[in-house]
Amino acid sequence: MSKSQRYSPSEMMVVAASRLLRDGEIVLVGLGLPQLACLLAKATHAPGLRMVLEIGVLEPEPVDPAIGIADPRLWYRATCHTSFTETLGVLLQGGRIDVGFLGGAQVDRFGNINSTHVCQNGRPVRRFRGSGGACDIAALAGRVIIITPHERRRFPERVDYRTSPGFLEGGRSREAAGLRGGPVHVITDLAVLGFDAETREMRLISVHPGVDPEAVQEATGFPLVWAGEIQTTPPPSREELEILRTRIDPHGWYLR
Amino acid sequence: MNPDKVRSLQEVVASVPEGAHVALGGFAVSGCPIAFVHEMIRQRRGRLTLSQAVGGMDTDLLVGAGLVDTLIFGGGSLDRAGLLNRVNEAILRGRVRVLEQSSLAITLRYHAGALGIPYIPTRTLLGSEMLEPLVEAGEAEVAEDPFEGQRIVRLRALRPDVAVLHVQMADRQGNCRILGPTWDNLEKARAARRTIVLTEELVDEEAFRRSPEGTVLSGLYVDAVVPLRFSAYPTACYRKYDYDFDHLRRYATLAQTEEGFAQYLEEYVLGTSDHEGYLHRVGEERLRDLVADPERGY
Repeated sequence: MSKSQRYSPSEMMVVAASRLLRDGEIVLVGLGLPQLACLLAKATHAPGLRMVLEIGVLEPEPVDPAIGIADPRLWYRATCHTSFTETLGVLLQGGRIDVGFLGGAQVDRFGNINSTHVCQNGRPVRRFRGSGGACDIAALAGRVIIITPHERRRFPERVDYRTSPGFLEGGRSREAAGLRGGPVHVITDLAVLGFDAETREMRLISVHPGVDPEAVQEATGFPLVWAGEIQTTPPPSREELEILRTRIDPHGWYLR
Repeated sequence: MNPDKVRSLQEVVASVPEGAHVALGGFAVSGCPIAFVHEMIRQRRGRLTLSQAVGGMDTDLLVGAGLVDTLIFGGGSLDRAGLLNRVNEAILRGRVRVLEQSSLAITLRYHAGALGIPYIPTRTLLGSEMLEPLVEAGEAEVAEDPFEGQRIVRLRALRPDVAVLHVQMADRQGNCRILGPTWDNLEKARAARRTIVLTEELVDEEAFRRSPEGTVLSGLYVDAVVPLRFSAYPTACYRKYDYDFDHLRRYATLAQTEEGFAQYLEEYVLGTSDHEGYLHRVGEERLRDLVADPERGY
């Protein structure tokens, strides 16, 4: 790789996420990397992609960095300001959201997500943000993409608290609970992962350039499904990096 | 002539009974009815049940002040200024009973309350650990959709005793213009037995009658209108003023400990006699700096 194509782990994550989005899809996003992934996809292969913020903001075009989805900076130049009834009810539960992005404190073997609390000796010791719309997105989006840093404590065998449902206990348990969809990809700073079609266990799809697959396993608290040759995630192209750095995050608010 | 609903802040807070179920209108760092919450703390209206899809600084202040028994919510934070430290600690220490659910679940429950139906079906919460405690508390049940046979969740309607919203403009009859997204605010205002609005601007009824299409919440649902400038400060009021990030950050840092929180309360709430006293403590210059750019809205 030439020096001109150096990139940060966050840039790799955004690029990998953006390539999973298709033209014309409606995507429910949060602040930060998922938002950048949508903007990159729009600027490259998916000009007809539409973004929805759960707070009730459709298709915004923010120009200033925001501190969260309650920040009016993120609502700028939207096509519509509306309500949870419309975003989480009509659009999401109504089946119109193709992709939902989620993060969280923990993601387990079956893609269940915890954003509520972590336990020590069976007792909650630290609390986070809770669900908000996260459980709704996990339950109701057409497919879910999880974005999170790859650390062993974030990838336990089983989450301390299941805020947002993935494939529950694996196999057909998600369908048995009455849910469709589910997590399809997990994007970390080390790899792109997916889920086995039968057992629904997390499997390694590709490692980012320069990452040893053993290092991915080492940073994961359960054995990853690991079938055949592990691919290398195609690195960000010169064009993708240029768009990210000059148009999408020119001041390095999110990516540096 | 319609009744004039303009009231003083002291008066509306005094009308909230001990033990009431209060639904607050904020979301993280936007639209929190801060002036109302401060006065609740000054008058020590306690043993409350609070409900809200996404908690913000409003909820953290009331929980921190020890006025809340039960919290019905979907979570919350102060975005990048920090977490709801007082709420989180109260839950961990068992000082507050919590019924966690998702933002969609709470919104639908308010909507059911507004529609006058006993429950509302949904497909959210299935597979989440939030569901079982709700079932045990008699707030939800898993059932079969009688038409298609699929698993659904029935959520019990929510009817708060009082909803408290912060809005940009209202007239004396309580008709409201709410600019920006409304999250669960219209649903809770329509579900509540009484609704109080804090408004930045009191507008002449005639002006609203000339463009009724702009009214998003009818005065039919509103019982009291409290005109108060900067009544969401330090949270944002879209198209009026920005949040004060430094203030929020300092609050979040102090609220990591009980002592720090008490210090904050003394400085800004208990040590000030009313809302104007609080704004005076913040300083006019600071407030002027936060006034929104008319084009961008922040």
